[in-house]
Amino acid sequence: MATLGPSHYSPYPVAVYENILPPPPGKALLFTEVVDEEVAMREAAKAMLTRENPTIFPGPQVIYAWNEEAKEKARLIRELAEVLEAKIIPMVDYRPKYPKIDPEKEINPNHPNLTIWHNNIKACIFVGVHCHYANVALKIIRAETDCFTIALCSNAGHEDAMITLRDQHAEELKKFIEIAKEVKKEVK
Amino acid sequence: MQKLGEELRNRAGQKIVDPEYLLFEAPREKVFMTGSEVVKEAVKRASVDASVSYPITPQSEAAHLIGELWVEGYVGVYFRGESEFGVMSEIAGCSMAGARTITTTSGPGTLRAMENFPMWAGSRLPIQLVLMARGINSPLSIQPDDLEVSFLLDTGCMVWYAENAQELFDMILAGFVVAEQPDVHVPVINVINGFFISHTRESVMLPPDDIALPPYNPYKAPMPPIDMEMPPGRFLRDPFVMKSNYISYATHTSWQFEVRAAIERARPYIKKYLGSLIEEFGDPEADIVLVSTGTGAAQSKEAVRLLEDEGVKARVVKLRTIRPFPINELRQAVKNAKVIFVPEFNVVGWLEREIRRYLYKHSDAEIIGGPRVAGGMTMPPEIIVKDVLNYLGKEVKHVY
Amino acid sequence: MSINIFKINEDLKEFIPQEVIDLEEKATWGNPKRGVMDLPYAKELLEEHSLCAGCPESMAFRYILASLPNPEDTIIVNSTGCTSLVFPHIALHTVHSLFGNQNAVATGIKRTLEWRFPDKVKDVIVLAGDGATVDIGLDCTLQSFFRQEKITTICFDNEVYANTGGQESGTTVQGHVFKMAPKGKQWPKVQMWQLAIDSGCHYVVRMSVSSPKKVEQVVKKAIYVAREVGPTYLHFYTPCILEIGLNSDDGLMEMRDKDKERFKFFEYVSPQAEEVIAKKKEEGLL
Ligand SMILES: Cc1ncc(C[n+]2csc(CCOP(=O)(O)OP(=O)(O)O)c2C)c(N)n1
Ligand code: SF4
Ligand SMILES: [Mg+2]
Repeated sequence: MATLGPSHYSPYPVAVYENILPPPPGKALLFTEVVDEEVAMREAAKAMLTRENPTIFPGPQVIYAWNEEAKEKARLIRELAEVLEAKIIPMVDYRPKYPKIDPEKEINPNHPNLTIWHNNIKACIFVGVHCHYANVALKIIRAETDCFTIALCSNAGHEDAMITLRDQHAEELKKFIEIAKEVKKEVK
Repeated sequence: MQKLGEELRNRAGQKIVDPEYLLFEAPREKVFMTGSEVVKEAVKRASVDASVSYPITPQSEAAHLIGELWVEGYVGVYFRGESEFGVMSEIAGCSMAGARTITTTSGPGTLRAMENFPMWAGSRLPIQLVLMARGINSPLSIQPDDLEVSFLLDTGCMVWYAENAQELFDMILAGFVVAEQPDVHVPVINVINGFFISHTRESVMLPPDDIALPPYNPYKAPMPPIDMEMPPGRFLRDPFVMKSNYISYATHTSWQFEVRAAIERARPYIKKYLGSLIEEFGDPEADIVLVSTGTGAAQSKEAVRLLEDEGVKARVVKLRTIRPFPINELRQAVKNAKVIFVPEFNVVGWLEREIRRYLYKHSDAEIIGGPRVAGGMTMPPEIIVKDVLNYLGKEVKHVY
Repeated sequence: MSINIFKINEDLKEFIPQEVIDLEEKATWGNPKRGVMDLPYAKELLEEHSLCAGCPESMAFRYILASLPNPEDTIIVNSTGCTSLVFPHIALHTVHSLFGNQNAVATGIKRTLEWRFPDKVKDVIVLAGDGATVDIGLDCTLQSFFRQEKITTICFDNEVYANTGGQESGTTVQGHVFKMAPKGKQWPKVQMWQLAIDSGCHYVVRMSVSSPKKVEQVVKKAIYVAREVGPTYLHFYTPCILEIGLNSDDGLMEMRDKDKERFKFFEYVSPQAEEVIAKKKEEGLL
């Protein structure tokens, strides 16, 4: 279990109540610490390469071919998954699904813990998920699982993730892939 | 947006500039204006897409003036809705569909619209509401009184409070910029005391009107806009999460926390675009502190000047934002306070409650809720002076 | 452009559930001639629902969604009620906001989309229950008609507040005993279709959803007229089989019964609407 939040009777931890805000532009967040992007990328790669059942959760912004950036990101995510030897489990949309999702194949922001429990995922990457849903899901994951969460966000980042990288576009993804290759040589 | 040479222009043909330039660097000219007129001037420079209106004193004039901007081509969508409930739902629709939006209301209008405000926040709509506070029924009063603000504190909207027309102008522009940050993206309610600000003229410094904020980009929002242009194509804004199986209660809880977290994330942006969440006035050494907002803060500043004549050192801590509440700023500012007065324009003392809550175990100062006026009364600085002198056991020489 | 939001990136396709791939490949996009005849072959825009088994609302949903002429650019605004349990599963951009504000929200959306996309047709539809449309939301409903908003409003009239457990509504028939009317309803059923005509709607229909083909025709007409002229209103009988004590296979018979009486097909077409309908017929779209 991750640390339970100080949010009184609610089991849901909220990083901002622990005075953690998203990182400033140009920086990343590693747990509670503001660090350089490279540092965070290294740690993220290490977490994915050393923990059990690492998984990338791509969201709608990268699953669908709605613009050129999305197409390129999808390709890079595929490559990243290969480098990190990670599974890919998509978050195709945000609907609360009945009666329940197939946790083998999908993750849902309303009960992301089901997928993480079912697949015993100990490290994961959120990418291409709309910020609100990433934030909702990351809070639940932090409360309900011991999964190491990494957010690759194209906006300001997600302080409820253990590592958050902000303003992540294709260039940054390429950089992350290169760093992941280096880290892989070191840890494997 | 259209490109003209090297310049980006908005749909009204104004040159698009950085918010920092518009707020801090552009040359400014002095004009003499009412708060209502200032709303028009701010909206004119804000690349606003949509505004919906409904008459109620004292905000009607500001709403009329936004209508003029629509006629002049500065605002894309404008009409009168059927009621404040309808208006706040209509503006929600505009916002969901990707518009930068602003609306205005007062008193009974605020309460009529009430169900919408938490919906705005929960749907992550960065709508701006300019609230020209007036009394609420019953009995009916059109006069200034800010009791209505207390109902808004836990809606999930940001609540800011402007002291004068100048601050209102700057806060409207900053309001869009902060509220629309992807990691904030909740509504912002900019409050002024009705009449005192809306209907009185003061000098205001304005940047030129041929420059404007960059247009809103709905595709950076934390949820897709409702326009069938962004995936996922299957998208309900916002679902009954309770019908999701298993830990559905967790989704609702997490969602509500997320809205409050979004308000917290606004802090650095507010510092950047408003300077600070608070403003301090008077002798920093003084241990008599008047903590207030809006017109209450303006009158408190006047009281500090009068107290100086009496040989009493006092100072003012003005709260620019109530949500997010300037917790650390306030604690720091009243560190050496012996007594704190909280002048307010309502009978319940909602600001006093807030201040007690955040200073509990963080200040040894005595907290005195008052003076309070309501129902349209003005707050002459003398009544603040009188309360302070009484507290100090000094003779009260003023007219009172 | 909008169809692209359903296209899946090739690099990730192998990880995507079949139902989502089917949406891209087997739903009918970009074809205004789509209709209920596609139902057996095409991927439906409704993935699943949690209505009671046999609830006629579920049929209505399927027929309506199959009939939208422009689903890739259609937005549906909903209200609270049994219908809102279906909305998360519709493969379009949809809204649930508050109980009764649906026509106000739709107004804001329609006007903004016209401003943002002046060269594109974006259809905005409201779909809500009788409580939402006729009781709590009547003000917003009628005012959107008065203002001549270019929106199609669809009311699922099950003559009761179903989602809250069977209370009398404005469209309950006089004398019927429901909760909150323990002595039977004291006043007549609201003739909402008539109010819609008097309030400025250009195309108004009252009927049950017993005939899929008919649903398709009126939905298409209503949308085309709303696009070009002004507000349109469809009042559909979708009986609440649960609250009137019918079995899950009784819904259709109940509707056929009422087709002969209070839900007998009724259609109003304004002169401007006539023109649009004639034009669309010429184009082979109706
Ligand atoms: C302001 C408000 N009042 C009451 C409710 C409770 N409520 C939720 S659904 C509903 C009934 C909906 O009835 P109707 O519109 O006829 O739809 P149905 O469920 O019958 O399909 C009610 C009363 C609410 N959600 N919000
Ligand atoms: S309660 Fe009635 S209207 Fe609601 S789903 Fe069941 S049968 Fe349908
Ligand atoms: Mg009903």
